[in-house]
Amino acid sequence: MATAVSSGPAQLTDRLLAPAWTPSRVWWVLFGISGAGTLVLAGAVAYTVATGIGVWGNNIPVAWAYAIINFVWWIGIGHAGTFISAFLLLFHQRWRSSINRVAEAMTLFALVNAGLFPLLHLGRPWFFYWLIPYPTRMGVWPQFKSALPWDAAAVATYFTVSLLFWYLGLVPDLAAARDRAPGRTRRRVYGVFALGWRGSGRQWHQYRVAYLILAGLAAPLVISVHSIVSLDFAISQLPGWHSTIFPPYFVVGAIYSGFAMVLLLLIPIRRAFQLEDIITERHLDNMAKLLLAMAWMLIYSYVVETFMAWYSGNVYERYTYLVERPFGPYAWIFWGMLTANVVVPQLFWSRRLRVSAPVLFAASLLILAGMWTERFIIIVTSLNRGFLPSSWHFYVPTWVDWSILFGSVAFFFLLFFLFLRFVPMVAISELKQQRHEASTAASAVAAR
Amino acid sequence: MTGDGRRCWRDLDELLDTPDFREALGREFPAGAAELADGMTRRSFVRLLGASIALAGVGGCFERPRERILPYVSEPPESTPGVARHYATSMSLGGFTTGLLVESHVGRPTKIEGNPDHPASLGAAGVYEQASILQLYDPERARTARLGRAKASGSEVAALLSPARLGAAVGASGAGLGLLLEPSASPLSAEMLRRVRERYPAARVHFYSPLGSHASDRASLTAFGRPLLPQYDFRSADVVLALDADFLAGGPFSLRYARDFADRRRIAAPTDGMNRLYVIEPGVSVTGGTADHRLRVRAVEVESLASAVLAAVIRQSNRPGMPGRQGIPDSVASVLRGVEPPPRHREWIDAVARDLTAHAGRTIVVAGERQPARVHVLAHLLNAALGNAGRTLRYIESPITEAGASSHELGPLVEAMRGGAVRALVVLGANPAYTAPADLDFGAALRRVPTTVYHGLYQNETARACHAFLPSLHYLESWADGRAWDGTASLVQPLIAPLYGGKTEAELLGALLGDAEASAHELLQDLWRGRMTGTDFAGAWDEALQRGVIAGTAAPETTPTWQWDAIGSVLSRSPPPADSSLELVLEQDPSVYDGRFANNVWLQELPDPLTKLTWGNAALLSPATAARLRVATGDVVALAYRGRTLRVPAFLLPGHADESVSLRLGYGRGAGDETLAEGVGANAYRLLTSDMRMFGGGLAVSPALGDDGAPLRDRLASTQTHWRLEGRPVALRATLDEYRRDPAFTAPQRGRVLSLYEPSPGGGDQWAMVVDLATCTGCSACVVACQAENNIPVVGKQGVLDGREMHWLRIDRYFEGSAEDPAVLMQPMLCQHCEKAPCEYVCPVSATLHSPDGLNEMVYNRCIGTRFCSNNCPYKVRRFNWFDYNAEVAETERMAKNPDVTVRGRGVMEKCTFCVQRIREAQIAAGIEGAATGEVRTACQQACPTRAITFGSLNDPDSDLVRRRAEPRRYAALHELGTEPRVQYLAAITNPNPELPRGDGGE
Repeated sequence: MATAVSSGPAQLTDRLLAPAWTPSRVWWVLFGISGAGTLVLAGAVAYTVATGIGVWGNNIPVAWAYAIINFVWWIGIGHAGTFISAFLLLFHQRWRSSINRVAEAMTLFALVNAGLFPLLHLGRPWFFYWLIPYPTRMGVWPQFKSALPWDAAAVATYFTVSLLFWYLGLVPDLAAARDRAPGRTRRRVYGVFALGWRGSGRQWHQYRVAYLILAGLAAPLVISVHSIVSLDFAISQLPGWHSTIFPPYFVVGAIYSGFAMVLLLLIPIRRAFQLEDIITERHLDNMAKLLLAMAWMLIYSYVVETFMAWYSGNVYERYTYLVERPFGPYAWIFWGMLTANVVVPQLFWSRRLRVSAPVLFAASLLILAGMWTERFIIIVTSLNRGFLPSSWHFYVPTWVDWSILFGSVAFFFLLFFLFLRFVPMVAISELKQQRHEASTAASAVAAR
Repeated sequence: MTGDGRRCWRDLDELLDTPDFREALGREFPAGAAELADGMTRRSFVRLLGASIALAGVGGCFERPRERILPYVSEPPESTPGVARHYATSMSLGGFTTGLLVESHVGRPTKIEGNPDHPASLGAAGVYEQASILQLYDPERARTARLGRAKASGSEVAALLSPARLGAAVGASGAGLGLLLEPSASPLSAEMLRRVRERYPAARVHFYSPLGSHASDRASLTAFGRPLLPQYDFRSADVVLALDADFLAGGPFSLRYARDFADRRRIAAPTDGMNRLYVIEPGVSVTGGTADHRLRVRAVEVESLASAVLAAVIRQSNRPGMPGRQGIPDSVASVLRGVEPPPRHREWIDAVARDLTAHAGRTIVVAGERQPARVHVLAHLLNAALGNAGRTLRYIESPITEAGASSHELGPLVEAMRGGAVRALVVLGANPAYTAPADLDFGAALRRVPTTVYHGLYQNETARACHAFLPSLHYLESWADGRAWDGTASLVQPLIAPLYGGKTEAELLGALLGDAEASAHELLQDLWRGRMTGTDFAGAWDEALQRGVIAGTAAPETTPTWQWDAIGSVLSRSPPPADSSLELVLEQDPSVYDGRFANNVWLQELPDPLTKLTWGNAALLSPATAARLRVATGDVVALAYRGRTLRVPAFLLPGHADESVSLRLGYGRGAGDETLAEGVGANAYRLLTSDMRMFGGGLAVSPALGDDGAPLRDRLASTQTHWRLEGRPVALRATLDEYRRDPAFTAPQRGRVLSLYEPSPGGGDQWAMVVDLATCTGCSACVVACQAENNIPVVGKQGVLDGREMHWLRIDRYFEGSAEDPAVLMQPMLCQHCEKAPCEYVCPVSATLHSPDGLNEMVYNRCIGTRFCSNNCPYKVRRFNWFDYNAEVAETERMAKNPDVTVRGRGVMEKCTFCVQRIREAQIAAGIEGAATGEVRTACQQACPTRAITFGSLNDPDSDLVRRRAEPRRYAALHELGTEPRVQYLAAITNPNPELPRGDGGE
């Protein structure tokens, strides 16, 4: 901290922009690995589109599986960025400035991945646009009783707002990059994206207002997107899906996994770029506390869901929650999920563990895996044993399913590495402002 | 190019008409192209366009037969393009015919239905008959004749058979000639054989079918001195005892028997009576699944139990107040005096005997085909003792040619072949190289015969082993005749000119007689000219073609003359020693029959009624025996039986007899043109021995080990992996007593459910279906009917393993009670056409919605394949096109597609439409007439032998549907979900004997 405080605003800017000018060898290696993984994704997607989604493990009754699991998982991950940016901004949680840029970028890339799956999972993906309400000659509209057109709309809205929010926050930093970039081409490119930002008082004033308005817009979207995604399940009458707790349950789960992903990304970044003074222990501590809080909300959902299944007296509900999930063929996944999502976050009752980067990193990884398996449990174990025992059928993913899952993770990291390389990864202007305010406040105190 | 009349030329080449010029001209202007330029008017262009669309995909390779064929009696005489016509014909299987109606579109047969006028069908059609349409179009059917290794013309092979050529080889009397046919009741074949015998008196003519009725014929010869065939009348039977007899499915008269049996089980009101069925059997057959009481015993024990029942019946008949013993002489009765049932079955046997005696004269005892002659004799005696003859059954002379004669044994022919006595062998239809008992080593014997000719649909195992091959015609391409189980004769008229050429059986026999160009049509007419009653042959012929039966040809009843001495000596011969070892039971396959349909994808993918297995067979055994042998479903076991070993995966079948292993015939086909069938399942014929006993003790079962010494596992493609109902109100059942005590026992499962959605409008036609679970036997005829009618694709073994079978209509089979001795419940499950359909509101693009007449419709063009509808369908009846399943369908097989039904592409959902194409056709026809929509019959309803399916409009008060829906036992599956399905079920009612404990462990 001492060095950071002693360094001036200009040094801070230089330091935070430095990774964008000179990529390290490690960056190239990681970029190569994630690029190769992305090629696997592209290959698997091309194979699927060319052949049919029969190349996946899906069947009747398990008509949805990996594609929808991945979709819900990525959408969930995509919640943290906007939550951090919008909610914490509105609640004046200033510590957010160090991490919001990474979180927002992460949100966008997660959404890009998430958007891939609803299209890909269609039997005839080339007609995806029929989900969009547009005036056609035939006068055919989407069927608005279904959750899916709303889902498409909600995800598209969320993506648009998240993109705008992220970009708006980026503008002053892009201007800084423009001003300091080595070489004419980079200056021009950054100049175009900086949209003529000069940093005048008037611009700052309008920027603040716009940023607040967007934050106000984005905050309810954080809640609505996953609520609507949850309706993809909740409006059905399938035991395991047909549940009124789903919207809040999904939102909580989404933010939970999103924070885990933010931590997963921040911890190595913090280490690699020596940002310990910017992303401090306080940040880690706060994030861990949020994880713990979200975990308990999730536990509440699990309990209520299971209790209601028992309390309903409905044989189908009871079977799904009390027999199939804990003791059925996928029981090991169910118990694994509970371990990761329920047991692991209890570590964060200890402050020592909350500020331990290795523990947080490992816990985040487990929670992310746990949240993926939660969606697996919700989707597969509800479908595979539905109402008629005659139609029960096991589900096994194929190599294409796995390729798409891991390929999408690689694609996410590819985008993220590109982000680290080309875009200021910390909100420099906000940070500078905070530093300035803090130092003036300190000098005021000293003066008094 | 000289159309203008004037002889103009453009260059010297043209004037000189050099070959070079002609070639260049041909390239530039293909022959016939000029016609387009000249004579083409708009009208003729449109006509050609229409015709080419109509012919698209069929390659223009079909045409009507040359001879005059006549449509079914009710059809209008004129032919309207786009309107299907029906022609009556008949198909023979196991020697007997079933009358059929074949739907034909512009000369292209597309679907097979039952002929209502034919006694073996009464409008129903079984799985084999219906799927045979696919055999017609099978791309692997033989297309050309073969001589040695070279392709040959049919006449070259026929010339081989001419008396001039053949006579030299086999001698003038034909001592060196062997003929091997399948058992047949065809008068034409019989006549042709008679002529062949006349020409070659010393020829060896043999009939072979692995599933033949040889034991029952021998029993008749013993008991009556004649090959008599019992004809049961299940309509007048109150109590039925089946001794390992699956009379409700798969047999030559099963459709009719199932119908008659069901007529006594279909109870409209609780006060109605119903029959009672006892079954003693080792495996679980369709009949056994329907039984009120099923005694699972090893097949070898059936005989002793049958004699115990007979002994008990005789004992009880002797008591005062009981009907007389109906003339079983003391000489026979005394033989049975000391016979006692084994103690553990005493209660069961005594109760059955009491029940039979109490209903004497209104009972039937049926013996199974695979049981030995003694069991058939015991069944004859039981029927006699109970006074059934003349009341519930009558005897006729067997219509099978040379029934009961030694010519129905294969052994002597093989012996002669091996000894070199047979110089030329002609095999017609049968596939003995595959189906002959393993110890006969038919293949080796065949190699000893210098000239061998095979006549069949495929170049199969036998064809490959024969010197010459001549393709036979499919019955849908043939002129022939046949007789049903009851003797009724019918004609076989072709629906289509031969796709690939070939000869019918009669034509081949004609060639043997020297008439290489014999026409089956002429032979048939010549034969029937003398046999049809009345003076007007042309009229009688036309009527026979139109109706599909020849009037007055049913065999007359004959009074049997009992050979008491022979019977006494047969019975007094000590029964085979009681053998407690593990036994092997071979059985006919409900899908591929004896293996002849193994190349038929519909049948390979048709789930077995009980195991729900597709694409292969398995060693079926009871859970207890499996536990003793330490095998689980999917473990490959080695079956060692009489010195031969066969590897086959095991399958645990609840209800199977302990210490018994059943194995279905017809799989594990060898090398031949039938590549689809090749290697699917295990060849059970390798365990068949020449005594033709389909079962026997002394089987050893051990886990099969791979090369690395690890136990082998195999993946069995079953369409239903879970067999318990888990207490869910899906397939309901009650006993007759329970139903009488509480007729409204299904009331909690029907009626309106509170709903936020508006009720359906309900005007006009409102289609609905009622399925009677009391009469559904699970025979699966409806499944094939649906597949044929609605162009349903097949997905292959991997597809079934992946859970992607496409059947719109499936039959769910549940076992209730203990795994050892459960009750069987069959439930046809199809789109329930819910009034408040859960699939509809979740579809994001309105691809599934409701029609005003109550159909839940699928709009394939609009479907984008989210599959949300399937997830939300509680009945899981929606099917998804995971791939483009129709891309791989052969050109010929496309001809079997129903032109009235869309062929679905990749990525769309599909499901039962209530045969909407038939509904709309009827509505359009009614609209033209200005009348109310007449009767509409769905494909499944039409095929059902027991009439378990009723379809109609809720607004038609006189309809069967409305009447049956008013029955107290009606209910809706998963009623509490409020889906208000238009398909409703009538709960199964069983009629157990109150004297017997519920062996099924039911409630």
